[in-house]
Amino acid sequence: MATPVSEVLAQAAPAAGENVVIETRNLSKVYRDFWGRHKVRALKALDLEVYQGEIFGLLGPNGSGKSTTIKLLLGLLFPTSGSALVFGKDALDVSKNERIGYLPEESYLYRFLNAEETLDFYARLFDMPASVRRQRIADLITMVGLNWAKRRQLKEYSKGMARRIGLAQALINDPELILLDEPTTGLDPIGTREMKDLILRLRDEGKTILMCSHQLADVQDVCDRIAILHQGELKELGRVDTLLKVQDVTQIQARGLSKEAEAEIREVIARHGGTLESLENPTTTMEELFLSIVRDSEARPGRRVREGDKDRSEE
Amino acid sequence: MVLEDDYFLTFMQWLLPGRQGIGALGWFMIWVPIVALLGLLVGFVRATLHYTARDGLASGILEGFFAVARTIDTAVKDLSQTSARRTFAMARLAVQESLRRLVLVVFAVFLLFVLFAGWFLDVNSDNPARLYMGFVLGMNNMLLLLLALVLSTFSLPSDIRNRTIYTVVTKPVRPSEIILGRVLGFSFVGTVFVVVMCLISYVFVTRGLNHEHGVDPTTVTRQTVDGASVVSGQTTEDLRHVHTFTLRDGQGRTDIAHGHWHEVEQVGEGENATFVVGPPRDTLQARIADYGRLRFLGRTGKERATAYNVGKEWSYRSYVEGGTKSAAIWRFRGITPERYPEGLPLELNLRVFRTHKGDVEKGIVGLLKLRHPDPAVNTESETFTFTAQEFQIDNLFIDRNLRAQKSDGTLKPIDLFEDLVDKTDGSVEVIVQCAEPAQYFGMAEGDVYLRARDGSFFWNFVKGHVAIWLQMVLVVSFGVMFSTFLSGIVAMVATLATVVLGHTVDFVTELATGEVPGGGALESSVRIVRQMNVSAEIDANVGTQLLQGTDLVGSNVVRFMTFLVPNYKELSRTIAENGPLVNGFDIFNTLLARQCLTTFVFVGVVVLISYFFLKTREIAA
Repeated sequence: MATPVSEVLAQAAPAAGENVVIETRNLSKVYRDFWGRHKVRALKALDLEVYQGEIFGLLGPNGSGKSTTIKLLLGLLFPTSGSALVFGKDALDVSKNERIGYLPEESYLYRFLNAEETLDFYARLFDMPASVRRQRIADLITMVGLNWAKRRQLKEYSKGMARRIGLAQALINDPELILLDEPTTGLDPIGTREMKDLILRLRDEGKTILMCSHQLADVQDVCDRIAILHQGELKELGRVDTLLKVQDVTQIQARGLSKEAEAEIREVIARHGGTLESLENPTTTMEELFLSIVRDSEARPGRRVREGDKDRSEE
Repeated sequence: MVLEDDYFLTFMQWLLPGRQGIGALGWFMIWVPIVALLGLLVGFVRATLHYTARDGLASGILEGFFAVARTIDTAVKDLSQTSARRTFAMARLAVQESLRRLVLVVFAVFLLFVLFAGWFLDVNSDNPARLYMGFVLGMNNMLLLLLALVLSTFSLPSDIRNRTIYTVVTKPVRPSEIILGRVLGFSFVGTVFVVVMCLISYVFVTRGLNHEHGVDPTTVTRQTVDGASVVSGQTTEDLRHVHTFTLRDGQGRTDIAHGHWHEVEQVGEGENATFVVGPPRDTLQARIADYGRLRFLGRTGKERATAYNVGKEWSYRSYVEGGTKSAAIWRFRGITPERYPEGLPLELNLRVFRTHKGDVEKGIVGLLKLRHPDPAVNTESETFTFTAQEFQIDNLFIDRNLRAQKSDGTLKPIDLFEDLVDKTDGSVEVIVQCAEPAQYFGMAEGDVYLRARDGSFFWNFVKGHVAIWLQMVLVVSFGVMFSTFLSGIVAMVATLATVVLGHTVDFVTELATGEVPGGGALESSVRIVRQMNVSAEIDANVGTQLLQGTDLVGSNVVRFMTFLVPNYKELSRTIAENGPLVNGFDIFNTLLARQCLTTFVFVGVVVLISYFFLKTREIAA
């Protein structure tokens, strides 16, 4: 059972000394057509605060206002009413961008440039010495694993490769705040895992991350706090661990138990008036399985034979 | 060649109020506030409408006012923080974009034109230099404007459509840098093109016109005149023309054919002599002319501002009547023996208006004399006669050793500089009359001049390309401006419209003032449908009055717009068919400086306007 909103809001209040990086007050956006007629109310009076050093997730189905919020924070859209502040500056103030990195939903990059030229172009928009620029470009290309394709024009890139170079451009200025719009879209499971690891690493480096996604598992894996939006309205806000904690259910995980011990546990639960919902061997996630196979394959190239198949072939 | 009055203005005369009305600066002071106010008004109305829809009229107006103030405040900050580094990065991107898109196609088209142009140019032209120059200048101008148009108008809209702009504007880039970067980048690409096209065209023109003649031995005749051996004959036919030549003591030159002549030299003596014909001369020239001020005398010898109008014709030239006291008087200044040690190299480019046909093969005879500008001195030279060859420049060298008619009708020797030049300002008057009754000479200020010296044709050709370059930069700026709020194809049409409007300023002005026969757009349409020619009287009824009224309003709106777009016709006057470059005259540096200043001011204003368009545009909307 989920925790009531009021309780969550109380938990989500800033702790003493925490710096607010993003703040929206009553932020609303109405899309209008050419004649100024009201078309769609994409965001309704959003109040939100994101603190330094946390990973904040914006969740919601398509059209819930996630991307609109990010675009408002970046100054790509003008608010219909309310305000959006980033580092205490108005979202329309260009100077805030010095400290921001943005990975858009898709790779909106210049297809006629190659990876190096792309990063060089974006790096030149920041005030950094040429030596730092060159070093950072080389580091980032290595980090996203595109050294082998750095001289190829982006139009020849696969979706995943373009996504990686998109990420590299978002980090070119070593930003304090990173906005990620659907960061795992278009990535294979390995890429997804790497992206999630990277997000966590960036947080550990003290950076603030705001991401929006509808990949719930990804959000669950990395986010410290989330906000759930639906039809432009804030429906839920709080810490992921608190929100997901089911208060009246106790989970026990143990290794090396015999059948007798399991029976004893059932008995103990029954004696204390509890209801046993399940007692079984846990399954791993598909992601874990996939990754372990790929890692294994990388370590020992060649045809992989499953345990059962091996037994049969020996017979 | 046509040199309008303002061609002769110095840079300061053009810039400051005085001789030319309020001067360029005056116009700038008038138009910049008008454009600024117009911009503020549009911004205010837009913001007010936006906020009125949300909060009602009263607070809408207030919010509108604040929005405008906020935008100006941000603009001041943004513009002051515009960084050369980021602008350069944006410019670099624009260059990379151009290189990887279509510029090379344009270059290929250019090469194709140049390679095969020889097939299509009229080989029988009387003046191949004009033909070649007209061709390359027209082609370069057109190709470069096309290039500028396509490059500048599609870039920003495609960035917005592909959303690549998201990754740019979320970096610390000001709209001013996006605009300036594009203008500079595309202008750079255009500049490289101008330079390459200019050099290739130069080679094309000079090589295309270069040719050699031999001498046709069957035409050579020899005779002795005054003890000197005179040889005359004809050259062989090359490049579809033949020259006749006359040599005195083994030296001489050909006549002028196809706009040039050759030196001819005899090698050897007697019957075994051979002739060497030199390379073509005066094909491509850059005459540096010394122009004088022109005034006229009427039939009775009284001074007039203009001479006579010979009908509903272009009023550029004024006509003096032959066989009367009507005359054109040029006053040249700064005539010193240092500049013209031998005498005055006069060149006349007169138009002839015949009221009777006469012998059309023969030109009309004219009279020319020099006079001291001070009537008190009352000294004038003997009269020279010349035959005006229409559409061809007549050369008349006035030796410094002249003769003047004494009161008894005898001639006495005088010196040009001692007796005819006013020592105070080095001025002398040249008086031109038409000798034949009932025939007229048409003249404008630029038609009689002293050929001071010859400049480098190459540099003149480069100056001509500067005019093309300026137009290219303007098209790029306007293209970028329109692309900040219009989609690619619409922005291109809008930019093209400014070019067309800028080329037809004169016509639009005449249309708005009702001087064009046949009326405006609607009236002309009715005439077309009813198959009425332009001079036929149209029925005067309410309907036609309504049409004409609408036309009047419409054409005046268009006329107003001509004040807002650059005058491309003015910018291309130096490379026009009747302009100096094609006709072999040096382009005035002051004119070029004026055009440069006008262009840069325009670009500055357009960049500023573009900034506001982009700044107030919701990129992700």
